[in-house]
Amino acid sequence: MGIQEQYRNEAAELLSSGAVKLVIGYGGGSTPDRRRPVFVRSAEEVSRLVLDSYCVANLSAYLISEGLLSDGKNVAVFLKPDGIRSVNILSAEAQVNPDQVVILGFNIEGEQTTPLPGRKAADYAPLMESLRSSGLSPELQREADRLEQMSAVERFDYWKEQFAKCIKCYACRQVCPMCYCRRCIVDVNQPQWINTSSHTLGNFEWNIVRAFHLAGRCVACGGCDRACPVNIPLRLINHRMSKETLDIFGHFPGESADQKPVLATFRQDDPETFIL
Amino acid sequence: MTRILLNSRLDDCLSAWRSAGYRVIAPSRSNNLTSFDEVASAADMALDLVLPERTIKDHFFPQTEPLVRYEIKKQQIDTEEMLPPDDKRVFFGVRPCDAAGLDIDDPLFGWDYKDQYWFKRRENSVIVTIACTKADPFCMCTSVNLGPDNPKGSDIMLHPLKDGRGWQMVTLTDRGKALLETVVPMLQEDAAETASLANVPVKFDVEKAMTWLADPANFESHFWKEISQRCIGCGSCTFLCPTCHCFDIQDEGDTYSGIRRKNWDSCSFAMFTMHTSGHNPRNTQSMRWRQRIMHKFNYYRGKFGVNSCSGCGRCTRQCPVDMGITETLQEITNTAK
Repeated sequence: MGIQEQYRNEAAELLSSGAVKLVIGYGGGSTPDRRRPVFVRSAEEVSRLVLDSYCVANLSAYLISEGLLSDGKNVAVFLKPDGIRSVNILSAEAQVNPDQVVILGFNIEGEQTTPLPGRKAADYAPLMESLRSSGLSPELQREADRLEQMSAVERFDYWKEQFAKCIKCYACRQVCPMCYCRRCIVDVNQPQWINTSSHTLGNFEWNIVRAFHLAGRCVACGGCDRACPVNIPLRLINHRMSKETLDIFGHFPGESADQKPVLATFRQDDPETFIL
Repeated sequence: MTRILLNSRLDDCLSAWRSAGYRVIAPSRSNNLTSFDEVASAADMALDLVLPERTIKDHFFPQTEPLVRYEIKKQQIDTEEMLPPDDKRVFFGVRPCDAAGLDIDDPLFGWDYKDQYWFKRRENSVIVTIACTKADPFCMCTSVNLGPDNPKGSDIMLHPLKDGRGWQMVTLTDRGKALLETVVPMLQEDAAETASLANVPVKFDVEKAMTWLADPANFESHFWKEISQRCIGCGSCTFLCPTCHCFDIQDEGDTYSGIRRKNWDSCSFAMFTMHTSGHNPRNTQSMRWRQRIMHKFNYYRGKFGVNSCSGCGRCTRQCPVDMGITETLQEITNTAK
């Protein structure tokens, strides 16, 4: 039995036993290599679920849909390791109750999709431990190194060119499980704290505000990067912030549900290198 | 016998247009993005694209645009209107869907008030469209009664020659004729076979969908919740749409001086209809998606006699969750009686 069949059966069982009210998974998309999020509410519908190496989106963002978990019922969601980390952060930040989230875990390596046994985020503690020890993505680091080698002026020009493309569609925010504010700071308009204009300054404001808010919270799922319709390499900004919080505070986001948010806690031994 | 523009003479045309005072804007690739940009030579053009990621709309209705500079003094308020530049422009290598988008938006910008920011640019621009010989799986112009060589919104239509040497040139408007006059020496009279047009399959029955949308009984249909469940509420589809035209007016500056700007806005955003009281008449994403579809295929036609969709398919092509007009209208077509 292939992994897709196995997970369809599990989803059917979860739904028919009443263990969950909803399964959030992947379905076929408008072209052969596209997958789209699907919401399955009954065992009869599980044939809509697809699981293969094209299922890359981090579906944990749907867990923060307004009201989804407020009836106390459970929801099952297909998650890769990055998504499981997102659930841990959302739990640590009191946005979801981890007991209500049933995880259908899987991993993608090349074309191979393999099951990750477990049900609740806590079951994945050993996996989180191994992710932590392997650190940040070397692939992203290689890309980031290219930028690190630039002079400050060159790097500024690079981002100026990238941000000039931004149209403030906020796809990066909307697709991100960490962007759960019911009213984002850029939407606070009495007064309008942040310019809505999508000119170079306004685009800098938006992208830097988001990068700061993601510092120590991004799991590098790449959702924002894929969602960006104008191809801004957002992964590199987020990676840089992750590297910073890992190097300074030893913080690997999402390793457990009781990990304290790095920028909302204070330790006596925190380095204070930023104080001049 | 028709007029032929050879690839090899395109740079000469560009020079002639520049000498005649035109800026030349064409599909191009830069910074890992395809969009319409000013080009220096034919080599800078990305004419091989099915469609650039960004639309031609950017050059008529920019994402942010200054309207008025203001300064509040003790006894008076000074204002200075900031109109767009007067420069003449040639848009070369536009696709019929993007050209049609301009034509679709004309009545909107000229309905009760003639928006001079739009029309000044429209009047100073010549649209040279290249008929499509290839399409991708997201193209859907034929589903909205347009097509790969539809002349709507174009001043000149270029039909690619079968042998790939250039284009057959057909002028459609006086503006097109005037532009052609500037390059007559670069053209040749020739009989040449044009390449066959792209085959763009019809994906939904737009008339049937419109009838369904016009039925008030379907306004509260559960369909809207189902179809928009995965919508994340970003503005990608609206901002990349050649016909979406909603904007917000914002004053940028401090209490005493600043600039009033016109910025793109999107019906996908929760903030779009938020009242000062906190009440939001479209307080769910399904209501917002319904609005987008209704506006394009019901309200706009009711007001201006044309649907507000030119079938470019960008809404689906670039949607982070693979939604879009095609799927919604297909579903409606399939379920409508």
